[in-house]
Amino acid sequence: MSLTGLTRPWKDFSYGFLDASAKRELRRKMLKAVAVPGCQMPYASREVPIARGWGTGGLQVTCTLLNPGHTVKVIDQGADDSVNAASIRRFLTRVSGARSTWDTLEASLIQSRHRVPEEILREDQILILQVPNPEPLRPVEPNMSVARQMHADADYGRMWLQLYEQIVRSGRVMFGAAYPSLVHGRYVMTPSPIPRWDVPKLNMARHLTILSAGREKRLYAVPPYTRVEPLVFDDVPYKVEEHGHLTCYRSGLKGFFMNEIPQEDGGALHEVSDSHLGIKAIRQGDGEDVATGDTWYTNGEMGQ
Amino acid sequence: MAYVATRGGERAIDQAERLYRSLMGDIDAQRVAEIEAALPLLIDRLMGESSLYAPELAALALAQSGGDLYEAILLMRAWRTTQPRLQVAEPVQQGQTFTHRRISAAFKDIPGGQILGPTLDYSHRLLETGVLGGAPYRPDPVEPAARPAPARHPSLAEWQKAQGLVHDVQTEPVDKDKIPDLTREPLLFPAKRAHSLQSLARADTGGVLALGYSAMRGYGNAHPTVNELRLSEADLRVRHPRGTVFSAGRVRTSQAEVVTTKGKGALQVGFCATFGWNEMKCIAGATLDLNAPGAAKNSPVNEEFFLYHTEPVEASGFCIHFKLPHYVTFQSALDNLRAAKAKAEAPAKEEADA
Amino acid sequence: MQAAPTPDALETRDNLTFEAVLWALSRPGEPRALPDAGAGAILSALVDRECRAYADDPEIETLLRQSGASLVPLELADHVFAGLTTDSDLARFMRVPVGDMLYPDQGATVIAPAQIGSGTALRLTGPGIETARDIRLGGLHPRLWEVRATLCRYPLGVEMLFVDGAQILALPRSTQVEGI
Repeated sequence: MSLTGLTRPWKDFSYGFLDASAKRELRRKMLKAVAVPGCQMPYASREVPIARGWGTGGLQVTCTLLNPGHTVKVIDQGADDSVNAASIRRFLTRVSGARSTWDTLEASLIQSRHRVPEEILREDQILILQVPNPEPLRPVEPNMSVARQMHADADYGRMWLQLYEQIVRSGRVMFGAAYPSLVHGRYVMTPSPIPRWDVPKLNMARHLTILSAGREKRLYAVPPYTRVEPLVFDDVPYKVEEHGHLTCYRSGLKGFFMNEIPQEDGGALHEVSDSHLGIKAIRQGDGEDVATGDTWYTNGEMGQ
Repeated sequence: MAYVATRGGERAIDQAERLYRSLMGDIDAQRVAEIEAALPLLIDRLMGESSLYAPELAALALAQSGGDLYEAILLMRAWRTTQPRLQVAEPVQQGQTFTHRRISAAFKDIPGGQILGPTLDYSHRLLETGVLGGAPYRPDPVEPAARPAPARHPSLAEWQKAQGLVHDVQTEPVDKDKIPDLTREPLLFPAKRAHSLQSLARADTGGVLALGYSAMRGYGNAHPTVNELRLSEADLRVRHPRGTVFSAGRVRTSQAEVVTTKGKGALQVGFCATFGWNEMKCIAGATLDLNAPGAAKNSPVNEEFFLYHTEPVEASGFCIHFKLPHYVTFQSALDNLRAAKAKAEAPAKEEADA
Repeated sequence: MQAAPTPDALETRDNLTFEAVLWALSRPGEPRALPDAGAGAILSALVDRECRAYADDPEIETLLRQSGASLVPLELADHVFAGLTTDSDLARFMRVPVGDMLYPDQGATVIAPAQIGSGTALRLTGPGIETARDIRLGGLHPRLWEVRATLCRYPLGVEMLFVDGAQILALPRSTQVEGI
């Protein structure tokens, strides 16, 4: 052994930014996450060149999976051109040389903040959801050690009580996005702040979903064909947002999750939240040959 | 494609970044060198919170971020994570460090003496406004002592252990390559001792001060007395592949031990150490450490509470992430609110109709 | 930062190996091609100095040593490279860590040689499988599935990666295995 054996040739940064050791740790944790669906796996979570809370968890997973053969799509709130999505996409292509796309059908890796695309994902696609807070029990138990014990004991009584109290107080379950859901009948997870509209898309899906919280240093997964059941009482059914009847004023699409755009006259317009689905519809309207995949929802109703 | 042109996120973020960078203008090696020379204590604080001892890089990070400390820490940390781990240095013993300053508030005098070293503690905080008028400020030269203080000083706690005032905790020797490393594995609770100390070492100075201060004001159980505060330089001793151990340089370190007489028969000790000279953080951090055993869950001196909430990159990142659009989440909550409102109004309407 | 880097041969192999392992574990019982034959590529993609590992094969042991992993007795290992054929293999397998309720991720990953597509007929159900998947796995101790069932008390358990040349087939702890 020599001194040079202790050093490395200078490289500005590793392929995919993360060094080999960081990638191995993420790989090990991703495997355990797949093996125990919905269970939060702690990981070291390296600092990356974007701020914590801005998708660093998703970014570490994507950086580990990326190779030059991949095509990556990045969305924030459903939009590819949202400023932070643009920033992350630029980073990912810069450190990997992978191609990027806005089209869900073309993507092999989809990193997303708060949305699942409307087109049904295939088995060869991986959805990576950025997670701000991985702990569904946080509202009832802020202490992480106690919450971990509750998961260990499958002690979700306080979670159910919270649901019950909401129904008593407001006449309905008041969880908006990040609706707590039972995975494979064992772990309650937060699906990240995706709208209720998107949660059924994770149930018995063809694709693998990896959820990663960089700041909180936890990652978990929903493998393909895994049950994801929103917590509900038998007599109070799960309700997605009432968007099924809305029409996108730009693309004319109907029956998808919408963004509400307040207007000066006191009313509101709606635009489809999956922005590239809207773009494709507009282009189709202009006579362009653009393919749209099958969608989870048809006429505002979730398919079986 | 009019639909796309009305948005244009890529160009907007590009230009926004240019606007920010134009605040600082050109950065050259000279500017970086001046920052490093002029702001050693800021550099020290930054190196501690970054857990990366590299004064030149710290100065560069400050130049690039225009002095936004949290941005500078993130720059340093993100650079640090990409670096290969070549070796773990030999452990540093308190008594073996080249000590510049070492004081105790617990005793009037201590073995080895009170060594004031560099401090502004007794200075009058007056702005030297003459500088702005063109008269350079030249500090008075340091006059060497007739009898120089020894370079190395024993640890006061060692003396207290010998006196039976501090429990001599027997720890199993751990191979240095096996010391748990917070940057390579997650922080879990109850935390490993190494993780707690590492986490405090890289904690946000302001955050540690705020929570430490809350403990000092009475939200903790124990009132701290500074047993020993030490600013020193530690040899970075590494092993050559041939087997010889050699010094590859020195790093500045701060350490604080605080004690309380509350407890059964012996002093309880809290400890904090960090890269660079940063006394305030070490005293506040040691106070948190002192108060941690048995602290109530969710109190500011509970270890999980203070370690999570003083992580500078995480705390600052999460705070600024609220600037990101949240309209999907908001839309989802709005839907609930409207539905609940409709439901609440429905029975009233029925009554009115009847 | 400068231009996009290109991955070197090792990065490429580790990345593709993991892609195969992740696919295989996400779809239990579905064989997947590895970029290289043998357990060495899996070791390289997953194991380094942060790991505690065990191997019954001196060649793998050498690779483990080079990776920086600590070589530990099997009951402390997070990665176990061992055959599952003989009675003594099976006795050893019984001692593999399965994690605990607080940290199920501490259950080990076991990498073992097997014949994929021939041997005992098994029916798999669980996450990653739409209804049920029938497979054949050979070269394994006949009582392995019984012992695995005692280890995999969900969410505790072990992940099993079976390697046959350049093919991998994986069984996470969440998979129910029945003989048919």
